[in-house]
Amino acid sequence: MKSIQFIVNGKERTVVCPPAKTLLDVLREDLGLTASKECCGKGECGSCSVLINKEVVCSCLVLAGQAQNQVITTCEGVGLSPNLDVIQESFIAEGATQCGYCTPGIIVSAKAFLDEVDTIPSAEEIKTALGGNLCRCTGYTKIIKAVQTAASKKISEPETAR
Amino acid sequence: MNTKWVGKRVQRIDGPEKVTGELKYMTDYHFDNMVWGKVLRSEYPHAKIKSIDIEAAKNLPGVICVLTHKDIPGFNGFGIVVPDQPVLCSDIVRCTGDAVALAAAETLEIAEQALTLIKVDYEPLEVVADAEYALTDSAPKLHPDGNLHSHVKIKNGNIEEAFEEADIIVENTFFSPRQMHAFIETEGGWGVMDEEGFLTIRCPGQYAYRDRMQIARSLAYNPERIRVISSPIGGAFGGKDEITVQIYLALLAMHTNGRPVKIHLSREESVIAGIKRHPFKVKMKTAAKKDGTLVANQVTAIGDTGAYASLGGAVIALAIEHSCGPYKIPNVDLEGFCVYTNNGIAGAFRGFGVNQVCMGIETHMDMIAEKLGMNPIELRKKNVYHQGEVSSVGHIVKSSVGTYKTLETAENCDLWKNREKYKSEVSEPWKKRGVSLATSFHGIGMGIGLPDYGAATIELLPDGKFLVGVGCEEIGGGNSTVYAQIAAEMLNCDISNIMIVQGDTQRTLDGGTVTASRSTYTGGRAVAAAAPKMTELLIQTAAEMLNLQASRIDIRPNHIAADGQIIPYKSIHKYLYDHHQSARVEGHFYLPKEKEEIKGSGGAPHHLYGYLTHVVMVEVDTLTGETDVLRVVSIPDAGKVMNPQGLEGQAEGGAVMGIGYTLFEDVLIENGYHKTRNFTDYIIPTIRETPLIETFPVEKPEQSGPFGAKGIGEVVMIPIIAAIMSAICDATGARIFHLPATPERVFNALKDLKKQKVQSAR
Ligand code: FES
Ligand code: FES
Repeated sequence: MKSIQFIVNGKERTVVCPPAKTLLDVLREDLGLTASKECCGKGECGSCSVLINKEVVCSCLVLAGQAQNQVITTCEGVGLSPNLDVIQESFIAEGATQCGYCTPGIIVSAKAFLDEVDTIPSAEEIKTALGGNLCRCTGYTKIIKAVQTAASKKISEPETAR
Repeated sequence: MNTKWVGKRVQRIDGPEKVTGELKYMTDYHFDNMVWGKVLRSEYPHAKIKSIDIEAAKNLPGVICVLTHKDIPGFNGFGIVVPDQPVLCSDIVRCTGDAVALAAAETLEIAEQALTLIKVDYEPLEVVADAEYALTDSAPKLHPDGNLHSHVKIKNGNIEEAFEEADIIVENTFFSPRQMHAFIETEGGWGVMDEEGFLTIRCPGQYAYRDRMQIARSLAYNPERIRVISSPIGGAFGGKDEITVQIYLALLAMHTNGRPVKIHLSREESVIAGIKRHPFKVKMKTAAKKDGTLVANQVTAIGDTGAYASLGGAVIALAIEHSCGPYKIPNVDLEGFCVYTNNGIAGAFRGFGVNQVCMGIETHMDMIAEKLGMNPIELRKKNVYHQGEVSSVGHIVKSSVGTYKTLETAENCDLWKNREKYKSEVSEPWKKRGVSLATSFHGIGMGIGLPDYGAATIELLPDGKFLVGVGCEEIGGGNSTVYAQIAAEMLNCDISNIMIVQGDTQRTLDGGTVTASRSTYTGGRAVAAAAPKMTELLIQTAAEMLNLQASRIDIRPNHIAADGQIIPYKSIHKYLYDHHQSARVEGHFYLPKEKEEIKGSGGAPHHLYGYLTHVVMVEVDTLTGETDVLRVVSIPDAGKVMNPQGLEGQAEGGAVMGIGYTLFEDVLIENGYHKTRNFTDYIIPTIRETPLIETFPVEKPEQSGPFGAKGIGEVVMIPIIAAIMSAICDATGARIFHLPATPERVFNALKDLKKQKVQSAR
């Protein structure tokens, strides 16, 4: 057992767990943050995507010990109802979620991508950015649309104005 | 008809909780006192069990219980139609997905370790790895009645004569893959038994009441003392129609002293133990006249159902019913065999057998058009049946038929009209493009002989909102939003005043499965049947409260108006409550059925079908054999469209799933052992493979449906398969008969084509 400190969704947290426990299990079991899902456990699907210091990682491949002192953002940290992030609003508006099990991971990846762009991205750019996230329900069409919608909203009404 | 909610692009009511991750799926629950359950699977695809020794596992510290077949109080079997799959095997294992023992422990790691300590003594038996071999006398019998699970046959007219008189005959054999549902949420859930022995199982499923029946049967337990909650679901596509882990959870929960027990399959275990789509071998011979009139079709289909039946019999029956496409062919001889092997287990999957035969008949349509020099749309238009005409299986189709309209739309869509231009715009000189189309149909609801009804409740809540309860689960397709739209429309209120509960044996009535493209149609009709009763209740109560005649009460948006007074629904609830009256109404609906079953067909025909035409453009790399689908036009006849956004979602998701089926997906099993293990070696389409998809519904209202709606969930992935196969041929001249059309298969087909050309040039 090891005591691990990190910042999750803006809050300092400490958990005591075996250092080889995955970050995904720590988030889900120790912290009750279940937006991140396990689907393959192998880094193949992106359902467990979280941000570590703004970078998208598969939390099923990160060990708790490696998260020591890191800044972690999960889908819950992107926004919770009723205070949704523009990317979340756009996913609803465009119908980009169906069963929803893949959605939090995709929201996290899309958030990281959008934070870096200041134009409306092309479908090709979005495809590259979200290439690591599997979705079996939507066929991705509305996900691409939602990311573009979010980008255009972000541009027309910058953060401060919101 | 002027509507406020129905037919509109209403946003999903479950959107906010899904995009934030706040929604708790059953596999998301975690409690401090929760214990972990694990399932010991068979080491062999086919073996005798000589003994099972669980002593060492039981003595491992942290283990709470270890269970075998001896601990099953009731019937040791499950299966939707024929319960031939053991809950826990006692004497024989028939596939590597077979469950032999269960363990529950304080942690997942201890439970896993416990499994390694269970000693099972096996005597391996010969493995039946091929469906055709399974039907021979030399194959070992996997079940007491042999290896043929079911046989269906439909025969009309005289095919021998028709073949003799035909001007053109095409004959081919088609092979289709073992597709995996690949839902993102693997099978899992949790169960708990309270002090009074009341059992609650929370596990995603596609029919809570039937899951409860199967649990009760194995536990020899009063079903009234079991509650099953089966919604929401992180994807299913038919793969959670059968029992997954519900009975294991129930058995373990009886031995954990009231502590909740959770099972969540790893992807590897899900690949091995979960059901798959039936691989088929289809021999087809189709004949036509010079003018394109189809005169005969002969089909022999063999489906590999693996070790157990599940819905295999129904899958082969539906395949045969649909094996001639939505056409009127007077002479047919159609035969299907559903066969046991040791290749995992196959069962329900979106399309339900029709995918495997549609690729045959639609490829033949394309070949006939090519040989006759006819436009493929003209050929189809000439042969489709219209409402009131006789189908190929010989019944009069009484419900709405949209095929012709979908073909007209296809003819006029940009991709088809300008196909020559698009085909010339190849991205590299060694790549070739092709544009083709295919059409198909899919029965809605169950066939003849199966109960098929919908039921819904509407309850006025203390805060004046309405709670609509429907048995059909929210599987991802958006039926919850459709139910809310119907209720809001008919109760004349804002959709935010509608709450929905689904898939819960305690809170919803038995309304059948969420399968067979039936939940919008059946559940929707049930809600539409309940709503007027709620309106009636509101009016009567208001009349009573105000001492007025009912005719003077007006339902306004979100309230009641009468005599210049406004009565909020809250006060109606209070009045009902104070007067000990029920605030809940029910709506019921029986799906219309055909009266006469086609002899030997296993349940055909359906009363109702959904129709769809796909146009696709592919680009084939002639150097590598790789195929990209660049554009898809999906033209559904789903009757009245309840929610265009939801319909598009189905059309887009179905198209991409069809692309995966056609181009890359196949669970490989060799001599009974899975070679495919996870998404590392099972490739489903990523966002990179997503083409431009356009959806143009034709909206031919079906008079029996809610507001004219039919179903759509399955047919959305069917014709695209054949359309891609034909488009590959349009691009390169090479026909593919064996799916998936991997680069290797396409490359080899191109090589063979070259050889043929060289030979014929000599
Ligand atoms: S669960 Fe982490 S990538 Fe699939
Ligand atoms: S919405 Fe179901 S997997 Fe993406």
